[in-house]
Amino acid sequence: MSRRRRSTSFYVLSFIFLLFVLFLYGPMFCVYLLSFQGPTGGMSFPMRGFSLTWYQTLFEGGRGVGDLGNAFWRSMRLCVIVAVLSSLIAVAAGLAYRRRFFGSNAVFYTAIMSMVVPGIFVGFGIALALSLFGIKSDWWYSGVGAQLTWSLPFGLLIMFIVLGRFNPAYEEAATDLGATPRQRFLYVILPIILPGVIGITMAGFTSSYDESARSALNMGTGNTMPMELTALLGAATTPAMFAVGTLTTLFMFTLVIGTLLIIGRIARRRQVRLNAATA
Amino acid sequence: MRIDPGFNALTAPLPEVEEAQAGIQKYDVEVVAVTKKFGDTTAVDNVSLRIPVASYCCLLGPSGCGKTTMLRMLAGHEFVTDGDILIRNKNVTNESALNRGTSMMFQSYALFPHLSVIDNVAFSLKLKKVAKAERHARAMDYLKLVQMETMAHRMPSQLSGGQQQRVALARSLITRPRVLLLDEPLSALDPFLRVLMRTELKRIQRELGITFVHVTHSQEEALALSDVMVVMDHGQIQQAGPAREVFESPANSFVARFIGGHNVISMEGRTVAVRADRCRIAEGIGGRQLAAEVVGSEYQGPVVRLNLKCEANGDLSALIPDARFFSDPPKVGDKVTMSWLAEDEAALPAA
Amino acid sequence: MNKTANFASLLQITPFALVMLLLVIVPLGIIFVVSFFDYGYAQIIPSIIWDNYTDIFFSRVTLDLYITAFKHVAIVWAITAVLGFFIAYYVIFLVQTNFWKAIFLMACAIPFWTSGAIRMVSWVPLLGREGLVNQALVGLGIIKEPISWLLYSDFSVLLSYVNLLTLAMLGPIANSMAKIDQSLIQAARDQGATEWQTIREIILPLAKPGIAIGSIFVITGVMGDFFIVKKMSGSQINTPAGSIMNMITALEYPPAAAQSVIMLIVVLGIVAAILRVVDVRKELTQ
Repeated sequence: MSRRRRSTSFYVLSFIFLLFVLFLYGPMFCVYLLSFQGPTGGMSFPMRGFSLTWYQTLFEGGRGVGDLGNAFWRSMRLCVIVAVLSSLIAVAAGLAYRRRFFGSNAVFYTAIMSMVVPGIFVGFGIALALSLFGIKSDWWYSGVGAQLTWSLPFGLLIMFIVLGRFNPAYEEAATDLGATPRQRFLYVILPIILPGVIGITMAGFTSSYDESARSALNMGTGNTMPMELTALLGAATTPAMFAVGTLTTLFMFTLVIGTLLIIGRIARRRQVRLNAATA
Repeated sequence: MRIDPGFNALTAPLPEVEEAQAGIQKYDVEVVAVTKKFGDTTAVDNVSLRIPVASYCCLLGPSGCGKTTMLRMLAGHEFVTDGDILIRNKNVTNESALNRGTSMMFQSYALFPHLSVIDNVAFSLKLKKVAKAERHARAMDYLKLVQMETMAHRMPSQLSGGQQQRVALARSLITRPRVLLLDEPLSALDPFLRVLMRTELKRIQRELGITFVHVTHSQEEALALSDVMVVMDHGQIQQAGPAREVFESPANSFVARFIGGHNVISMEGRTVAVRADRCRIAEGIGGRQLAAEVVGSEYQGPVVRLNLKCEANGDLSALIPDARFFSDPPKVGDKVTMSWLAEDEAALPAA
Repeated sequence: MNKTANFASLLQITPFALVMLLLVIVPLGIIFVVSFFDYGYAQIIPSIIWDNYTDIFFSRVTLDLYITAFKHVAIVWAITAVLGFFIAYYVIFLVQTNFWKAIFLMACAIPFWTSGAIRMVSWVPLLGREGLVNQALVGLGIIKEPISWLLYSDFSVLLSYVNLLTLAMLGPIANSMAKIDQSLIQAARDQGATEWQTIREIILPLAKPGIAIGSIFVITGVMGDFFIVKKMSGSQINTPAGSIMNMITALEYPPAAAQSVIMLIVVLGIVAAILRVVDVRKELTQ
């Protein structure tokens, strides 16, 4: 598409887009700024000085911090497990859908329903079921399970999109050339759908990090980050919260950008290798 | 697998598939009363065919005639509903695609996008756990056969259609198949490239001494390539035989029309096919004639195709050498007499 | 071989199906069952009664709650649909290079990497009486006194929803738009269509699947929310979801279950209606 003279609508909508971005980032901006609030300052402007006090409080513990340190680690282990399980189970399920099988429609619509139903119902249902059957809830089965009810269907949708673009001739060509089903999967299917798989893993991780509607009732003892933060909201809130927000955003940002950069690096290095071999 | 210094990948004899007892191998492929149904639709209807050793066989027909289904059943990517398939006298009907001694070249080439050209070609060897150095060396042999050795380290996305096709060919051939199956390999190429590539295909088939089964909807391609031409329609074989035989003596009006260059004429209670280039529009040539009206003319280089309309017989055409045409060009709307010699008629069954 | 292939599929789907069964179907089923139970103080008494449902249907409060919820849904849906549509249009059709398209879309996603609870608190310094907005308005002389209804009101609740859910609308719509064949647009221009006509006649109809999917996310997001509405309204506004959560915290499970069943029927009914417009499976596999 060659460069055309920009139309009026471009400028109008650019402006609207700018406003929208400001709108999205407005609250974030306050969070980042206020995290440097002075020691006597409160949760709102004006800024009474500029300091790292609240960051210090985070690491030293103190009021307004609660049990965030442990909550963070609990969240991390939960996120990793949910991410790994999501990709394994969703990839297998996506592969299953390349053929028709008994119950394929039922599972598909249940998955859609599971994703779309507001989290509180799923959470409530699981908690109720557990208490009725006399099972206690704990993070590594009911907590993980509750979060999987969202991340698995989402992963399945991503697999549908990725496999939809997948030319079935690749698999037939592999078979034709002598590949067993295992070799077909390892050498042809997996490398091609790898971006999708990475996407599912990341989605599992990031969705688990901020998830509380489904899992809060099923986490057993010990809060995850979102639960702990929610609890702190009611109690005496201090700008330490903002410090947490800034740090965790930084953490997520680094994680996502880092993963993308690594993938880009690998792709580029392979291209360099190929160019050298051709020269 | 050790490397034998005298080993030439291309001319070494192919591994022998189990032969039947009294075995002079006459046919590479035998299709015995094969039927394929998809639910209620019959795609291939009780088809039988024998393809001699080391021959170039084209399956020709319109879209939906069953030729691609037939090919996929030979490959093992589609299972027969009924009937048997033998490759080199071995019944492979229930074998998977791996063990048939066939190799398939896909219409979309299906080159693995994440592997380089040489890795694509060496793929089957990697599956058999051949060491990297050796499998790359063998892959290079085949790349040289298709003249793609300079592109060994490119990615498929960097190649043109014709180049991709040659890589796909090398990849299929490295498995040393007895029968190579090609699914409309030239359709995606531009006309000039098509002619070049089909010469290549024929050359390679001759050099390797194996059978090619080539699906196409282009009669020109089929005529140019076939030792055995198989014309299919509605899941059945309409005619099978050497290209010249099919062209000179079409078996029915479908073949006559599909093969091109024929007029199908019903007169005096008989139906016959006459080659368009044996039809003239002059009077008094003797033999048979028919009144027709000129509808249009198309210049095609060495000949001019004159499109005619006849009351009883619909659209007809005559191929007239250019010199003769331009010495006295008929105009649109002219009433002319189309004539031909009786011996140029090929009898067809009624309707 | 077809039989082995099918068996392979069945094996592959089993973990997924098992999770769906145990963690979705069974819990929802239990909610349904418990909704008919009696209850005492922090106890569930397993005998069948209809009271939970009759209480709901004959209560004026229920109607009020649902009206509030529907009001929220309607307003948020309208705003996010318009915003989402035009921003998606901008990014997909008006922004030329893929690089900027990717940057813009990423820019929209980054704020969501911060925890929801924190984003909620962050409205206070923005909208509060001493917040940035009020300070700016007073400073510019537009108003004399800080506005109080920016926070802890309907306004703040809706603002929070729009902030949260526009991306959920933007994403699917952008995805649908990206699939539109460029030559269709060019053909329309060729026929003399103005930009607005092209949008109305070509782009809008073809983006319908994306709008439908986005609508599902927005509607379920608003209907199912109990947290934002409580915090951003200072506990003044209540919705069916909020009422359910209250009952759960009060350990009154059967009535909560009954309310849940009603809400589930309403929400799933809306989703099913929307799914009539778009064939989800086809959308995903192309």
